[in-house]
Amino acid sequence: MKFIVSSSTLLKQLQQISGVINSNTVLPILEDFLFLIDKNELTVVATDLETVMKVKLEVEAKESGRICIPAKILMDSLKNLPDQPLTFHIDLNSYAVEITSDNGKYKVMGENPENFPKEPAADDTTSFSLTSTALVTAINKTLFAVSNDDLRPAMTGVFFEMTPNSLTFVATDAHRLVKYVRTGIECPKADSFIVPKKPLNLLKSALPDNDSEIKIAYSQNHFFVTHDGAQMICRLIDARFPDYKVVIPKDNPYRLTLVKGDFQNALKRVGVFANKSTNQVALNITGSELQLSAQDVDFSFEGNERMSCQYTGDDMQIAFNAKFLIEMLNAAEGDEITVELSTPTKAGILKPSEKEENEDLLMLVMPLMLNN
Amino acid sequence: MDNEINTRQRKIIHIDMDAFYASVEQRDNPEYRGKPIVVGGSPEGRGGVVATASYEARKFGVRSAMPSKRALQLCPDAIFVRPRFDVYKDVSRHIREIFSRYTDIIEPLSLDEAYLDVTTDKQHIGSAIEIAKLIKQAIWDELNLTASAGISVNKFVAKIASDMNKPNGLTFIGPSSIEEFMEKLPVEKFHGVGRVTADKMKRMGLHTGADLKRLTENDLKQHFGKPGAFYYRIVRGIDDREVQPHRETKSLGAEDTFPYDLTKTEEMNAELDKIGKIVCERLQRYGLKGRTITLKIKYGDFRQITRNQSLPFPTGDLNKILETAKQLLLSTDPEDKPVRLLGISLSNFNEVIQVSGHSQNPAQLSLFDDLP
Repeated sequence: MKFIVSSSTLLKQLQQISGVINSNTVLPILEDFLFLIDKNELTVVATDLETVMKVKLEVEAKESGRICIPAKILMDSLKNLPDQPLTFHIDLNSYAVEITSDNGKYKVMGENPENFPKEPAADDTTSFSLTSTALVTAINKTLFAVSNDDLRPAMTGVFFEMTPNSLTFVATDAHRLVKYVRTGIECPKADSFIVPKKPLNLLKSALPDNDSEIKIAYSQNHFFVTHDGAQMICRLIDARFPDYKVVIPKDNPYRLTLVKGDFQNALKRVGVFANKSTNQVALNITGSELQLSAQDVDFSFEGNERMSCQYTGDDMQIAFNAKFLIEMLNAAEGDEITVELSTPTKAGILKPSEKEENEDLLMLVMPLMLNN
Repeated sequence: MDNEINTRQRKIIHIDMDAFYASVEQRDNPEYRGKPIVVGGSPEGRGGVVATASYEARKFGVRSAMPSKRALQLCPDAIFVRPRFDVYKDVSRHIREIFSRYTDIIEPLSLDEAYLDVTTDKQHIGSAIEIAKLIKQAIWDELNLTASAGISVNKFVAKIASDMNKPNGLTFIGPSSIEEFMEKLPVEKFHGVGRVTADKMKRMGLHTGADLKRLTENDLKQHFGKPGAFYYRIVRGIDDREVQPHRETKSLGAEDTFPYDLTKTEEMNAELDKIGKIVCERLQRYGLKGRTITLKIKYGDFRQITRNQSLPFPTGDLNKILETAKQLLLSTDPEDKPVRLLGISLSNFNEVIQVSGHSQNPAQLSLFDDLP
């Protein structure tokens, strides 16, 4: 079998999917790309058994065929080649692959394509479509809050919850929670599932941040995302997501409004002096002044800053993990942020002061207990 | 994400039990208290060495690893006690349990010595000095033994600190005093600088850290080889080595010095049978299986060699271990030279998978009360 392909196009496509490959896998064939040639179309597949990523590209080919090619060596060689047509000669009996470029010839041993894991069938799926940017935005706004705790599998992914005209994305690690609602998406029915972190991370970089359409489909166990010939399939997390609605406070009476960038920079500066196990920064709010303070007694570190704010409520002192706050502020659009508070031991709510069209972002964060 | 506030300033404690074996013997045998005790081999016969000397015996110049015969010459009134390793191991386990109340990042160096990383301590005490005091107090209250603690921002300085006010000491060397401290430190006190290297340094007119500091990294490498780079960093108070919680189980083995040197392969194999049994018992006691089997041979002229073989999978099986050890022995032409000592050890154990995940910081409040 023989085909001709542009080196830069091939590299670009492979880079979209190579992130799924684990470097030290038990099954050596998982370190390969599966190449499928059908007429003038090449499909390349990579998988870690949990997630499958596929891309399609145009090639010049006379026959059809399949071969597994080791991913790392192929990528390394493509990265160093100037843009040019490459000819792949494949011996389908011995699985030997020979690549010819203007610069020379490279040989690599492939593997039997029959041994490459079969992808899950897309049977019995429900599907709908949305813009690529909507999904990318949702992932960017929620993924950071996903838990890494394998003992609580439900929290190691993003919860997708559908109603007939909205899609809600929720992530939590039990200390903070992000809820991002996107309206104007037509979902076929009220339903929900949990998508693991790794495939979402891959999608975030593989999908374009534009208005092109993507198709989402899901079955009992799998999640499929298709965009312009490229596809990602992953297994869903088989667990029940915690009842997040009950933990969102209905009426936090106090409102603190801040210039987001100023608040974030102050947290970064003061956070340097915080105890590294807690990242604790105490917020002391009195009238129109917010005081931030952090310390580490062992090293006699101490950081204090003051900034002006708008505040309606009783004076109060509350402490948070500065890292959590900084990450949440990153996820919020706009110049201003509103923090809704009640008591120093109850969840605070962060919201952008101005709502975007068709979007609603709500972030919860539990405080740190102050010992005085 | 933003990593600025994560610049890690670590808090490391080095705990060293004071004259451990001897202190345990004095604790359990009131008649030994206040007397020079030497735990180790008998001064009669050959090969006996001092494992630990009580502080009373140290006044006479008795030191660890010194031949017992020499110890008796220095301190004719010394009471020689056979070590009771089972007792020391029990005590050691208890001490580690005390450590684990404050952190899981514990690197035991031996039965009586360990590094702890308390940057993030479990009880949210925040102060490493306070934790060291609590540990020393618990060791005294629960075991009636004393320990010395060194506290600093890296392993090297913490270890030196623990040695500064022995016995029953507590020494803190903070980030601001490290450089000055290192400059004053005599070269032989540098951990990793043995007698030979120290002599060489002194011949070169290098007596303290300050002297070493005048040399470039290249100078140090040229004169002292690879460790030169380590000295270069250490003398500047830089030591990034992590506290490694699983170092404890890196290798496990047994060895024996024979009453007379062995010359026949059959004799050596018979000794390996005995040693192998001990190794297997120990493996079982710790519930371990190793992949690499190492044979150690010390010849009549004290020259020592090791040979090792890795198996495709970990084993704890006596026959497999003996078969491998005997093959390794054969590969050395065993009847060439008289053999004084043989040893077998296993390493490359099954990795203990650490469950990491949700925050262990009790001050961080949780959104979901029903979750652990």
